[in-house]
Amino acid sequence: MNLLEYQAKDLFRQVGIPVLPSQRIDRPQDIKHLTVPYPIVLKSQVYAGGRAKAGGIRFVENTIDAVAAAQTLFNLQIHRQLPAALLAEAKYTSAQELYLAVVLDQTQGRPVLLGSAKGGVNVELNSQHMKQVVVDQDFSAFYARRLGVLMGVQGDLIRQVSHVVERMYRLFMQCDLDWVEINPLAVGKDGAVMALDGKVAINDDALGRHAELAKLRFFGTAERVPNLAADRLAPVPQSVSPSPLPTAETITPEGMRLVELGGSIGILCNGAGLVMATLDMVMQAEGTPAFALNVGSDGLLMSLPLEKRIALGLDAIQHRSDIKVVLLNLLYGEVERHGVGAAIAPFLQRRDGLRCPIILRWSGMAKDAVEFPTDSNLHVFEDLDEAIAKAVALAYPAVVRNAR
Amino acid sequence: MDGSLKFTAENKVLIQGITNSLGATYAPLMQAYGTQVVAGVEAGHRGERVGDIPVFDLVEHALEAVTDIDTTVIFSPPYEVLDAALEAIAAGIRQIILISSGVPPLDMVRLLRKAEQAETLIVGSDSPGIIIPGEVLLGTHPAEFYTPGNIGIISRSGTLTYEVALQLTQAGLGQSIAVSIGSDRVVGSSFQQWLQMLEEDEQTEAIVLIGSIGGDGEEVAARYVQEAIDKPVVAYLAGRTVPRDQPMGHAGAVIAPRLSGWEEAIGTPESKIAAFKAANIPLANRPSEIPGLLQNHLAQTLAEIAS
Repeated sequence: MNLLEYQAKDLFRQVGIPVLPSQRIDRPQDIKHLTVPYPIVLKSQVYAGGRAKAGGIRFVENTIDAVAAAQTLFNLQIHRQLPAALLAEAKYTSAQELYLAVVLDQTQGRPVLLGSAKGGVNVELNSQHMKQVVVDQDFSAFYARRLGVLMGVQGDLIRQVSHVVERMYRLFMQCDLDWVEINPLAVGKDGAVMALDGKVAINDDALGRHAELAKLRFFGTAERVPNLAADRLAPVPQSVSPSPLPTAETITPEGMRLVELGGSIGILCNGAGLVMATLDMVMQAEGTPAFALNVGSDGLLMSLPLEKRIALGLDAIQHRSDIKVVLLNLLYGEVERHGVGAAIAPFLQRRDGLRCPIILRWSGMAKDAVEFPTDSNLHVFEDLDEAIAKAVALAYPAVVRNAR
Repeated sequence: MDGSLKFTAENKVLIQGITNSLGATYAPLMQAYGTQVVAGVEAGHRGERVGDIPVFDLVEHALEAVTDIDTTVIFSPPYEVLDAALEAIAAGIRQIILISSGVPPLDMVRLLRKAEQAETLIVGSDSPGIIIPGEVLLGTHPAEFYTPGNIGIISRSGTLTYEVALQLTQAGLGQSIAVSIGSDRVVGSSFQQWLQMLEEDEQTEAIVLIGSIGGDGEEVAARYVQEAIDKPVVAYLAGRTVPRDQPMGHAGAVIAPRLSGWEEAIGTPESKIAAFKAANIPLANRPSEIPGLLQNHLAQTLAEIAS
């Protein structure tokens, strides 16, 4: 879960990372009650990057200009996102701009400190200026000093930079972050450092043990995406994180991911790897997936039997009148076999909006066959390639004819 | 830690989290398959039994009652996995398999630092574990998909591993072992460690590597195959058509951190396919192509040996 800049800066303040005086603006008229003295910077609070280049940052000298700028910013979409709020912040003149981050290297399984003496809007993470220090053992301040020295900072700035990095690392560990970034960390004419902008992403799997952070999920307009299927999205429960950028994804209350893909074939599988493989095969056969739904035993679903997960998944898609075929690709062992027929039968009997053909691909390895209900719209396959071919043929009869 | 395979039917196995629904379901199945499941642990359940498996409050109590426990399979809820694994390490257990999904990555960081110091092998998290067909089951693989043979499967996925096993079994290619290294963002043992173990394993004649988008484990594995693996390796990659930045359910299968200025995304299918090509590893377009690629590759290798 990504945080907005003002939320990230609240966390910075709490751990002692220097930030400027600032104030959140929820409506243009709030500008009149500003406590931060002019001149100020007004910053659009969106999740998307590239905000400065898109015109989402305005410098203003007085209230009249500020109100006008605020009205403009509230209506300015940045990568199709409208701002959740604005941040009014004291203007700051920097003599130098640094880049700092703490990220997780998933291959090494270790946190990594990143730093560059050439920070700011044009920073390049994969440049020769970007230095990194792997925190291979328990953290101590020397890792932070090592980064500062590698970045080429000198004198008292080494201590100041390492002080900020130490606090970023503490935040990273305490809040279960995926990453924390400060760009730029400004160095003022007096030599003091200041975090002018920051990004924080909290790990989705860890949100369940950070109730206060989970509340920072923003439910406003910022994550509404015009012209995508987002309007169909069900409310996202607070215990489950959203994807960091707006995508057409629903997470059901039970924790299943339903990803909208805009095509004709609905895909439901048990397991993320199987979802990805099935999606690839449908695309290779020139079908277009409508959605992908994983009813595998990930996360919150871990304790539910497959039968229950399939039933929940079918509930989640039963109102879908916009698709041409549903492809259920289910692989399960004998221990779960009894429930599968039992989960599918009531769905077939009761289908409301969903009247399209259903392709059921299941494994015939279980010793006794599952009793599937008789239904002319239900096509059962053991072979995956055949199931995919049938799904595409039913969704696009013309395409298949042409191909032949 | 040396590279040899230490998972056999001789392992004496502990189950942590044995009374929760997954643990209680799979512990007796593992036992029925031939695994020596000798004890379970769940605080507050001392004296109970799951099937005929005795349950203890603490790992150390299980070890007092049953000596020589060398492997533990952990089914505990995700936020309790770190603690359960640390308890096992403290008690001297050196092979740990994490079935639970959704373990926070920084818990895994703490666990891996400790495990390296204690020379402990961690498999997972979010893994169905290990199966040696016909011999031992350490996890939740559906055994009926597998048949004994000479193909080793190393995978990041769960059900996709079963899919590949099913295709191999139906093609008459049995398996020496199947291991899922786990789908969570940070996992213990790597593709590389398992490639090394299967290279040295006498039962394994060829290896199937099942990767997915996200991370750079496949790239590292491909380079390692080129440098150090003599046995035939074929690969399959899931998620080639998944939109960028779109999580598909694996915590580990997300492309690229979204930091400012990161020009090249990490974990893209293009990067992985290029790495497999550079290492001359045949890549299957779909699971059903894997048996054919293996048979070609095995025939080629035999011809090279003969000539």
